[in-house]
Amino acid sequence: MRVGFPGALLYYQYYPLCKTFFELLGAEVVTTPPTNREMVTAGSSMMVAETCLPVKVFMGHTIYLSDKCDYMFVPAVRCVEKGVYNCSKFLGLPDMTRAVVPECPPILELDVDVEKGKGNLYRGIYKLGSRLTHNPFKVKRAAEEAWRVHHQYVDYMCEWGQTPLEVMDEMFGGNGHRQVDKVEKFLSGDSIALIGHPYLLYDAYVSNRVILRLRKMGIRVATPEMVREVDLHSGTVAVDGGAYWSYGRDLVGAGGYYLRSDVDGVIGVMAFCCGPDSLMMDTVRRYAVRLKKPFMQLIVDEHTADAGLITRLEAFVDMIHRNKRR
Amino acid sequence: MKVGFPHCGSAYIPAKAIARELAGGAELIVPPSNSKRSLSLGVKYAPEGLCIPFKLTLGNLIEVCELGADTIIHAGGAGICRLGHYAKTQEWILRDMGFDFQMLYFELSKRKLRDMMSLIKVASGGASWLRILLALRFGLVKLGVVDDLERMVHKIRPRELHKGTATGIYRQAVDAIDMAGSHAELKKIKADYVDRLRQIPLDPNADPLLVRIIGEIYVVLEPFANMDVEVELGKLGVEVRRHNYLSQWAKFSFFLNNIGVDENRKIHKAAMPYLKHDVGGDGWESVGEKVLCNDEYDGMVHLAPFTCMPETVAMNIMASTRENLPVLTILCDEQMGKAGMITRLEAFVDLLERKRRVSRKSEKLARV
Repeated sequence: MRVGFPGALLYYQYYPLCKTFFELLGAEVVTTPPTNREMVTAGSSMMVAETCLPVKVFMGHTIYLSDKCDYMFVPAVRCVEKGVYNCSKFLGLPDMTRAVVPECPPILELDVDVEKGKGNLYRGIYKLGSRLTHNPFKVKRAAEEAWRVHHQYVDYMCEWGQTPLEVMDEMFGGNGHRQVDKVEKFLSGDSIALIGHPYLLYDAYVSNRVILRLRKMGIRVATPEMVREVDLHSGTVAVDGGAYWSYGRDLVGAGGYYLRSDVDGVIGVMAFCCGPDSLMMDTVRRYAVRLKKPFMQLIVDEHTADAGLITRLEAFVDMIHRNKRR
Repeated sequence: MKVGFPHCGSAYIPAKAIARELAGGAELIVPPSNSKRSLSLGVKYAPEGLCIPFKLTLGNLIEVCELGADTIIHAGGAGICRLGHYAKTQEWILRDMGFDFQMLYFELSKRKLRDMMSLIKVASGGASWLRILLALRFGLVKLGVVDDLERMVHKIRPRELHKGTATGIYRQAVDAIDMAGSHAELKKIKADYVDRLRQIPLDPNADPLLVRIIGEIYVVLEPFANMDVEVELGKLGVEVRRHNYLSQWAKFSFFLNNIGVDENRKIHKAAMPYLKHDVGGDGWESVGEKVLCNDEYDGMVHLAPFTCMPETVAMNIMASTRENLPVLTILCDEQMGKAGMITRLEAFVDLLERKRRVSRKSEKLARV
């Protein structure tokens, strides 16, 4: 039995969790290679043009996986904290996948909604596991182990100051996983924080390898995953008074933390048409203006070209250098 | 206290009625009706990626502040769509612009009636609950009359001999209703205008297409945002119907939802095979209505603000349902031009007419 987990959107947060869970239940987890042009084209040709790039990329990955697995795992993460909801596109992700990718194998769904109570989530997990085994204890054990691995993964990123791809590489020994761009030397002492959702920052195609480009300029790059949960929370409170979006802390929480920390500048990355970010990016920008911290906002879409991006990154880095010299 | 608020369809009518009923409390400042100026003010100060409801309401609020409002009533609270955060962001933007005011939030997520009444109590300087309830009722009755007349006008527009008569009478009616001071006067005005609308000469041979208007509630209700799409469709000989009326919304969310009546249950049930959950805003309803309206209607016009999250999900799903009802999606934003929209509507109506002709012909053949 092969379970497909498209390497986009939720991949960077939940791949270790999902891999552990399904493998303990005796299934093989299949994922996709890094995003490439074909996937993006395939995804965007199936979708309405107004959809944001990450969702188009997700559909591209799903199409790629369609004939390579028996089930597709597409969770709907609705609410992970009371009173805080997620973007509509995450809420309707399984239904949207079914509508957009007709050739997709049967979809394994999981509704994550803590507003409906823990019992509901546990039942959902059992129902998900029961597609693969009839032994509820096995499902329970797998879920607990997956949860442990997930925490370990989050802690590693935070402790080692590494990106999800690097940590996954360490955890799973690099077999069948994405290649990690490694740059050993950090020439200058400058550091820049990149804030934004993991599916933008770590997808080399979507973000146009922005992390690698900055590292090649000799800059230490910090990302939201390297911040502790507590700090993300206090960052959110400082900027916005409280969480409004489930994944808002990628931008607001990390923004609030890094803008007050000693990094030299902060770059916010968002996708064109992104509903939550269009609002939150402005909130973070307002906060940056108040603190007089260098801040730049990058908007990515299908048409983002290297040259424009490089120029803007160079200009930002130059500005930081000049700022420091003064 | 001078109270300002943003426009949303004909919401200004009940607001004015309530303010007049509770005279002696706050002064109500009605924003100038939506115009190019309100839009361009909104566009100038809003973050670019936000939808047209944000930009227009921000424009309204700026204009209200310019007129000297010191209190602003706005819808807010945690919801699933971005809308819940709009009041907060707009407050910051207005403060950055140097306006000084107090913001009163109207929570859209729960206990709407109680929240609305306590809001009115604050704004009116502590009027009695009974007076507030009576004033609110009067306002909602006015709104109901406006919407009843609008439903009539939708029927008459495609059938009238002289295009534009019904729209003209409707506009006069709205002004008259706005001025009405008592229930008796309102009743008389309603009877009067219903009579006038009934007397409009109709074309006996008219055979209008039936089109459903669906989509995000603000752009559906606000003619400036959707560029009078209903009037233009009427001119093209199309009868429009829609589910969203402000009076309907108020009736259900203030009263009936509290006792467990859900106006959308049928629509949600219809959407189940394609979309199993609420995705915020009106996305779920859009998908459901496409399924429900398949047999009765000739087509649908789907209105959505550009970058609207729920409607984008709905659009992606609606494109591949088994129900093969033609849908024209019109995205509303500040770049939109009326000529372009009319061309699209004309082409859409032509297609619908052709489709109807072909299906009638095949029905006739089948009967022979």
